[in-house]
Amino acid sequence: MNPIVGIAVKDVKTFFREKGTIFWTIAFPVLIMLLFTAIFGRDIPFNANIGIVNEDGQTPITDAVISGLNSTGVFTLRNFTDRNEALRELNATNVRAVVTIPQNFSFDLMFTNHSKISLVVDGTNPDVARLVEDGIKNFFTEYYKMLYNQTYNMTYYEPITVNAETSFVGQRIGYKENIVPGMLCYPLLFSSMVVSTGAIVYEREKGTLKKIRASPIRPINMLFGKTLAALFQTAISILVMTVLAVTLLTPRLNWNVSLLAPIMFLGSMNGIALGLIISCIGRAPQEASNAATTIGIVLQFFIGMYFPIEYLPIYLQQIGRVIPMTYAAQAIRDVMVRNAALNEIVMPMITLTASATILYAVGVLLYKRWVEKE
Amino acid sequence: MIIEVEGLMKHYGEVKALDDVSFSVKEGEIFGLLGPNGAGKTTLMEILCGLRRFDEGKVNVFGLDLVKDPYKIRSLIGFCPQETLLYDLLSVRENFAFAASLYSLSSRKFKERVEFSSKFLGVEEFLNRRVQQLSGGMKRRANLAASVIHDPPIVILDEPTVGFDPNIKREFWELMKALKDHGKTLLLSTHDMYEADEICDRVAIMDEGKIVALDKPLILKKTIGGEASIRVRVKDDQVEKALKLIDKYNHIAKDNEVQVFVANPWETMPEISKKLISQRILTEKVEVVEPTLEDVFIKLTGRRLTEEYK
Repeated sequence: MNPIVGIAVKDVKTFFREKGTIFWTIAFPVLIMLLFTAIFGRDIPFNANIGIVNEDGQTPITDAVISGLNSTGVFTLRNFTDRNEALRELNATNVRAVVTIPQNFSFDLMFTNHSKISLVVDGTNPDVARLVEDGIKNFFTEYYKMLYNQTYNMTYYEPITVNAETSFVGQRIGYKENIVPGMLCYPLLFSSMVVSTGAIVYEREKGTLKKIRASPIRPINMLFGKTLAALFQTAISILVMTVLAVTLLTPRLNWNVSLLAPIMFLGSMNGIALGLIISCIGRAPQEASNAATTIGIVLQFFIGMYFPIEYLPIYLQQIGRVIPMTYAAQAIRDVMVRNAALNEIVMPMITLTASATILYAVGVLLYKRWVEKE
Repeated sequence: MIIEVEGLMKHYGEVKALDDVSFSVKEGEIFGLLGPNGAGKTTLMEILCGLRRFDEGKVNVFGLDLVKDPYKIRSLIGFCPQETLLYDLLSVRENFAFAASLYSLSSRKFKERVEFSSKFLGVEEFLNRRVQQLSGGMKRRANLAASVIHDPPIVILDEPTVGFDPNIKREFWELMKALKDHGKTLLLSTHDMYEADEICDRVAIMDEGKIVALDKPLILKKTIGGEASIRVRVKDDQVEKALKLIDKYNHIAKDNEVQVFVANPWETMPEISKKLISQRILTEKVEVVEPTLEDVFIKLTGRRLTEEYK
């Protein structure tokens, strides 16, 4: 048997029998996928508890307001008879906002065209507070328009109307369509890097590297064998995540395998090369292993896996742009969301190829230097 | 000569691990490197296997220069280190397959070699078992078999029986002799003088990175080990008393054992026994012993083989 294939076969066999490695490569991505499915796999991805204090009593208008708020699906309503009690619940963060419908609300609305609603929002989480406030304000604006229309049988005009439109290149996407391409970057970052670090570190720790080095196999061939096995393991991880994404989230994405496969390959090669470098720099095997995991955890925030890198401060965006995985994430997203063609992803592909070549060469040199130091 | 080492030097920082080491190994012999821990045996073996670089000197294997043809030389050597370097999660056969792949063995040759290992190295009964399920002795046998799976003409074994109980050690000696009978040249390191005496055709005694003597064990014992000596073993609490009595003789003491070197041991032994009895010193053993490789080492270095370097 060819020595490169021999090393790859041995590593793959060991992989299937090593529970810890299987966990990292398969079970962990599955857990991540299940978690994201639970979070983003719904049509309305946001829901908040809202307290309602109806001081106006039961009228057709208050009934319509409460049932209208209920039917948005964004809020889960809790009715309170006492406003103070509702505010206590707000302070205890059991509800995110308290909407008080004041006395004479219905009367004022019908006969004076001017009525007020009291809204107290929990400001401890600014993002949630903004969403809740906007949601409730929008609801009442829309509600008033509807009521005005019914009462006067004429169209209500706001003094200034902003007609907002959203442009979509390709198709309109939801949360899950946005998150799936990012999730598919997970194996490129974690599986490939952790597996390749582990492959060398394991041999060092166990002492079996001595046996390999005493054989006529050249260091570069040994690394090729390790790379082949790491690619195989990363491919399994990608496959598992893809199958889960399709079955659990059913995203409306473009699965252009002929473009996605080379991007995934180049992304994996970058991860593997990075892992190789870490395994040679780490003085102790455990140190190298921990470093790979830590670097993977940190990098996931920089490469636009889960959120766009525009969320980052400018200086962190600059860091993100020098990480090769960012280009893999971008290319995957472009293909899957925008249905980009090959000519549209040439630049990320060239970047990924160049970085994989450079990183791999550095890894090989470091490995050779490490071997020579012995 | 299939291995020729000339003026080999190796430093670890300021420490001289090998100091002008020269020797040669004949085809088909078992050549032993005998010395205490830290004498430089493992460094020397790892250099021969291409695992370490050396600073000065020359190493030729089958006429090939180790610096110029390291990969060709590696294919001619089977290296069996003291640790069991097998993959626990793979079966013995899978470990063999992996080792064979490193030497690009064809599947036909691999089958032949597995048969050989099964027959001569006694691994048949656990060939399909995972290494993690094997006993220590089985693992070491499998380790040796994996080292020679590519049928190398030279087998290098670093302390192959260290930590073995006497029965397994003897069993392993037989395996090494069997390899020799199959035409292999064995180079092994040991700090066990009995092992060196029992299986080695020639022995190089190493101390502080140097070869201090090299010959057949019998010749070393006769020429350097000297005459027979008297060995006295007393009860632990009576060592001091016994040493006072023996003080006038040339001797070496360790724990409760004293070795006395005299010109005529058979005549001196009753005299020493009598003195010990008269002083009511309880002895476990008083005997005349023929010189061993340990005696050779003591004569050459003034220390025992089992003593660590300070």
